[in-house]
Amino acid sequence: MAYVATRGGERAIEQSERLFRAEMGEITADRVAEMRKALPYLVDRVMGEASLYDEDLAALALAQTGGELYEAVLLLRAWRTTQPRLTVAEPVTQENLFTHRRISAAFKDIPGGQVLGPTLDYAHRILATEVLSGENFLPTPVEPASRPSPAQQPSVAAWQAENDLLTAPEPDTASGNTIPDITREPLLFPAKRAHTLQSLARAETGGVLALGYAAQRGYGQNHPTVNELRLAEADIRVRHPRGTEFSAGRVKVSQAEVVSKSGSDLGLGYAATLGWNEVKVIAAATLDLNAKGAPKGSATEEEFFLYHTEGVESSGFCIHFKLPHYVTFQSSLDAMHDARAKKAAQAKRAPKTDISPQVESAE
Amino acid sequence: MTAHPAPSEFEARTNATFEALMWALSRPGLTRDLPAPGQAGIVEALLDRECNVHCADPDLARIAAATGAALVTQEQADHLFLDMLPGADALRQIALGSDLYPETGATLVCNARLGQGAALRISGPGCNGAVDVKVAGLPDGFWQMRARLMRYPMGFELFLVAGAQVLGVPRSSQVEVI
Amino acid sequence: MSLETLTKSWEPMSYGFLDASAKREIRRKTLKAIAVPGCQIPYASREVPMARGWGTGGLQVSCTLINPDMRVKVIDQGADDSVNAASIRKFLARVSGAPVTMDTLEADLIQSRHRIPEEKLREDQVLVLQVPNPEPLRPVQPNMSIARQMHADADYGRMWLQLYEQIVRSGRVMQGASYPSLVNGRFVMTPSPIPRWDVPKMDMAAHLTILSAGREKRLHAVPPYTRVEPLVFDDVPFRVEDHGRLVCTRSGARGFFMNEIPQEDGTSSFEVSDSELGVKTIHRRDGDAARIGETWYTDGEMAQ
Repeated sequence: MAYVATRGGERAIEQSERLFRAEMGEITADRVAEMRKALPYLVDRVMGEASLYDEDLAALALAQTGGELYEAVLLLRAWRTTQPRLTVAEPVTQENLFTHRRISAAFKDIPGGQVLGPTLDYAHRILATEVLSGENFLPTPVEPASRPSPAQQPSVAAWQAENDLLTAPEPDTASGNTIPDITREPLLFPAKRAHTLQSLARAETGGVLALGYAAQRGYGQNHPTVNELRLAEADIRVRHPRGTEFSAGRVKVSQAEVVSKSGSDLGLGYAATLGWNEVKVIAAATLDLNAKGAPKGSATEEEFFLYHTEGVESSGFCIHFKLPHYVTFQSSLDAMHDARAKKAAQAKRAPKTDISPQVESAE
Repeated sequence: MTAHPAPSEFEARTNATFEALMWALSRPGLTRDLPAPGQAGIVEALLDRECNVHCADPDLARIAAATGAALVTQEQADHLFLDMLPGADALRQIALGSDLYPETGATLVCNARLGQGAALRISGPGCNGAVDVKVAGLPDGFWQMRARLMRYPMGFELFLVAGAQVLGVPRSSQVEVI
Repeated sequence: MSLETLTKSWEPMSYGFLDASAKREIRRKTLKAIAVPGCQIPYASREVPMARGWGTGGLQVSCTLINPDMRVKVIDQGADDSVNAASIRKFLARVSGAPVTMDTLEADLIQSRHRIPEEKLREDQVLVLQVPNPEPLRPVQPNMSIARQMHADADYGRMWLQLYEQIVRSGRVMQGASYPSLVNGRFVMTPSPIPRWDVPKMDMAAHLTILSAGREKRLHAVPPYTRVEPLVFDDVPFRVEDHGRLVCTRSGARGFFMNEIPQEDGTSSFEVSDSELGVKTIHRRDGDAARIGETWYTDGEMAQ
């Protein structure tokens, strides 16, 4: 019964999961609510990468995984798989976004003004260590401006297009069911515009940053200027089967327009995502800007960056190397033993030749 | 989220329909049993919002439209549901896909009478040697036209439905009229 | 029309986990994969409650096929008790209520990572292989768009060249597992990282094989009775691993694919990789009843 004795595997698996969960202890609705309140930017990041907007579920995913981000995103995406699609919302237009923050690096001032909104950009990053010794950190109250900035503004690119500085992309007339959906159809190349933007919207922030940064440092053809960065809320309007349109609520969104200055026209790169995540949309817009005409196999080629910034896939594949691979290993070892034996036999007869390393495919 | 391991009636039906279609295509020429007679079960097992469908029967078209699939002409359809083909020429309108994306070749479902009519010898993947079948109810020259149109791996799949029986002929099959 | 007609009644979880839409897509793509053997069919590949790279492609196919009457076996590296096989088996049973088994002969559906069982599969059985990389051309062409064009043109020259170079450099083909194979004389496919030992089992096999890569979002199939030919030169025959004469130290099974277990004294001992075959062999040795089916290999030789 030797084999049977090895079947302790299932118990070990169960206990390893218990060990992980023991560290987080009891998960309560209060804890989830507190996480949602205390970590809005983390919740945003998870919602963006999961392409599912629900702050409570995202906070729950974070609570359940102890903040293991890749796991939290996977958890939310897997839940998304089980949900039916009821309808497709009406398109959200830039000029209808309820804007909290909108800045441009391309101009000193822009129509509608530079609206700083909430940011740590100019803060000194000093750790409030006094909190740990019992002295609470109370944020200084915000003093409202004498005149509120306009809530709705067109994009800077729209103004540039009007002034013949760039060619605005053709308006996409797809609506409802005809909008290609990357979660329901495969990604093929050259990618549909909608698939590219959707893939970037749900890409992993760190991955987008790494490749976007490479492009910014000089591995791309175009250096970006931030034409506009915007944090906003979008009203989600849905049409009832009877025909009436109603608001299903607001979601936080971020978008970035970046432009290149080479050539006679400004080139435009764009990215948007659910939630507020500035680094991601600037890096993603940089990749979009550089994609056109990028050499095959370069970091700014669409196929390259869309595949390699997919966080659920890349993290999953990375950790899959923990799985046993002894069959494939054995198979290669067998070929290696045999090649060595051949080499040894050959060495007796002729001068030595090297066994060159072989390209291995992923297993 | 706890397990709920009982399939709904819809799930059980569509699951069984697909299983019949899968084996029908895996073993060309061998008939399989559908859980219910007719083509409607195939519609609900396969079609969705992503599909472009052409249905000859208006009642079936209503069922197909309810899945969210778009009702289109024969040329644009990825799934075609026909009662009887008007003539072999109708096959010319069926999408064959491309070399790059052979899978965009269409799936054609039509009614036929199995076990009577023209004797056919089917060979190719899925056939353990040649498989002989009899099929009636298809227009004259149907199989010759099919052979003329196929440019493997481009081509279309064929499901012949007779009541609750289905027979599959993938594009990889060679069909000889004997 | 109301919202109720658009949606379904509430369930804690869809049967088989996947939403009906996801299943319909897998069904459509599986039919095309069967119709064009060895051709990689792209699909959307939904996220499932397991990490990508851990069998999510195979799992989506299994979740689509499964029903309460389907008996399921799951193996990883040939073993039913491997941690990931145990985890997948538990998940499939949990979301479907389907009965599970470790006996190859009893299974209707076998989901496997990197092995084909040693007992011959039958016409009524489906083998679902987990595939990490569905593209056999990846080592010679990492760009998927170009590789797709090469398949469209049946342009496999670089594949042959790679094998030729290996023979020139090393005196033999160095490909270990995932041996590229020509299906139905048209498409070169990867049989997934099964050892070379298992590749001849696919040629004109009675069962249906579906190979699915969740992360790479491609699935392909080998229908029953379909030609699967490993790429070889006429004068350099295909060679499986040299395991034909090895004996399992635990069960005494001989002539099957083995796991090498390094020993402290520097030698190796061997265990049969198909764990359930090992268990059945032990039962038999101990005089207990155990039915061992016909095997593909007899005395370490593949039946012709």
